[in-house]
Amino acid sequence: MRPLDWAVLAASLAGIVFYGMWRSRGSRTTSQYLLAGKTMPWYAMALSIMATQASAITFISTTGQSYVDGMRFVQMYFGLPLAMVLISAFAVPRFHNAGVYTAYEYLEKRFDGKTRALASIIFLLSRGLAVGVALSAPAVVLTVMLGWPSHWTTLVMGVLVVAYTAGGGIAAVTWTEFVQMLVMTAGLLAALLTVILLLPSEVSFPDALAVAGAAGRLNAVVWRFNPNDQYNIWSGLIGGMFLALAYFGCDQSQVQRYLTGRSITQSRLGLLFNGIAKIPMQFFILFTGAMVFVFYVYTQPPLIFQPQAMAALEQLPEAPQVRADYDAAFAMRREAARRLDFEAFRAAQKRVDEVRRRALALAGEATGQGRINDTNYIFLWFVIHHIPAGVVGLIMAAIFAAAMSTISAEINSLATVSMVDIYRRFLRRNAEDRHYLAASRWLTVFWGAYAIVTALYAQNLGSLVEAVNRLGSLFYGTLLGVFVLAFFVPQARGTSAFWAMLFGEAVVLAVWQFTGIAFLWLNVLGCLCVVAFGFAAGLLASRGRAG
Amino acid sequence: MTEEEKPPFWGSWARVYAGVAVYLALLILLFDWFTRSWNR
Repeated sequence: MRPLDWAVLAASLAGIVFYGMWRSRGSRTTSQYLLAGKTMPWYAMALSIMATQASAITFISTTGQSYVDGMRFVQMYFGLPLAMVLISAFAVPRFHNAGVYTAYEYLEKRFDGKTRALASIIFLLSRGLAVGVALSAPAVVLTVMLGWPSHWTTLVMGVLVVAYTAGGGIAAVTWTEFVQMLVMTAGLLAALLTVILLLPSEVSFPDALAVAGAAGRLNAVVWRFNPNDQYNIWSGLIGGMFLALAYFGCDQSQVQRYLTGRSITQSRLGLLFNGIAKIPMQFFILFTGAMVFVFYVYTQPPLIFQPQAMAALEQLPEAPQVRADYDAAFAMRREAARRLDFEAFRAAQKRVDEVRRRALALAGEATGQGRINDTNYIFLWFVIHHIPAGVVGLIMAAIFAAAMSTISAEINSLATVSMVDIYRRFLRRNAEDRHYLAASRWLTVFWGAYAIVTALYAQNLGSLVEAVNRLGSLFYGTLLGVFVLAFFVPQARGTSAFWAMLFGEAVVLAVWQFTGIAFLWLNVLGCLCVVAFGFAAGLLASRGRAG
Repeated sequence: MTEEEKPPFWGSWARVYAGVAVYLALLILLFDWFTRSWNR
């Protein structure tokens, strides 16, 4: 990075933190600290919700995914607008009218204390496992690409986030996310415009689209159903809707956003705006990746984008041959693209893919890492090597903003659930509000410190990090199921809901362990199991009582 | 806080929700056209 980039990055980060702290000054009650005194307008909630969802690794790897696999990932978001409608219609008024701080507090009002405790613990476990990964993943990538010491990257991001989150609570989180989302959008647009401008002058925009399309990179809609593939319209609409229902209906990091709304209308508008804006935003992120692919059709990219893996490959005796094969395949593909001869282009693309697969396998053996995936490094490689000074700083600021927004939302929601659903409910009831405010701040610092320590440790865990991250998504269906029971099954009682959650979770874990079903469908399965079990058990219990 | 709160436009929440569903359908059709036009 050049001095101008550092200046842009530093100014963006400082601006974000100071703006958040300024907007959240004067949080003197628990309600102000955890719910912003229910004063948030819809536009702040909407951008805050979008920023929470966009983590740094999503920002970096989504573009890379489009580079290697095309745009079909966008279908994952097709269920989101439907989920936003259902949450707006059914969850928002219930949560607002119940006057709760957390979604799980509602479960005690509807069921009992043990159901609330179980749901809170499931949330704390799954989010607690993920928060360190959210902090460490971008640090690892930035370290590899830029040579920054990873511990310092983690510490700088972590300490900044803890400072404004512990200081200003949810208001600071929401307002910083509002600005972070604007920075992310600016970074994204800058990247997209730059890559299009960097295409060779003889390549028109329609030609670029034709080349990307010929390589299968513009496959935004896939109609063919396959239960083991999550990127088709059916799993996107149904599985994606269930995932979004679970995330926005039961995950405190999202529920807390719309509980800060000054009215039901404001909360609904925030959610619906998110449902409307998210798909086009993902489309443009993926489209940027597809255009980076086109750029590298005319400009030779490295054989492997991850520098360490490439260095390992260079040490092998096979390296000169692999490089020669790659150079030949690349030249063939570039010529075919220049002639717009798409049959020859596709054949050359196949050859490029084969050589890259061979190179990645060799590098994997050389480093002892097994299968290497360099998808997360593609976009950053492009940014660092081809984008002009100043714009690089803006894109880095966008990546930092994406990381910080996700982490701040997570530690804030973890602290809220720990305070409201565990500490105030089970450990210290009936204390003064001042005491709970202080406890909330200390719990935020605790979860922030936990995230930093886990992130520092997680960097040595390798593939376990990925496993833990996936594990988090195994709990969503069960949580969604218990809220569906609470809202729509009047026969369900506390005990039946509690056992239904345990049953649903056991089924999800068994299916995940023993089948290859795409993870989006696990949310559907978990939800249906909990609802079916809870409904049947509630019915039996009510008959027993009547008999 | 009441269920009777009206949206700031279109008169009722049912209409707003229907609008979101129509938007989604149009977006999918647009993406499908985009895929068919360019992805060969």
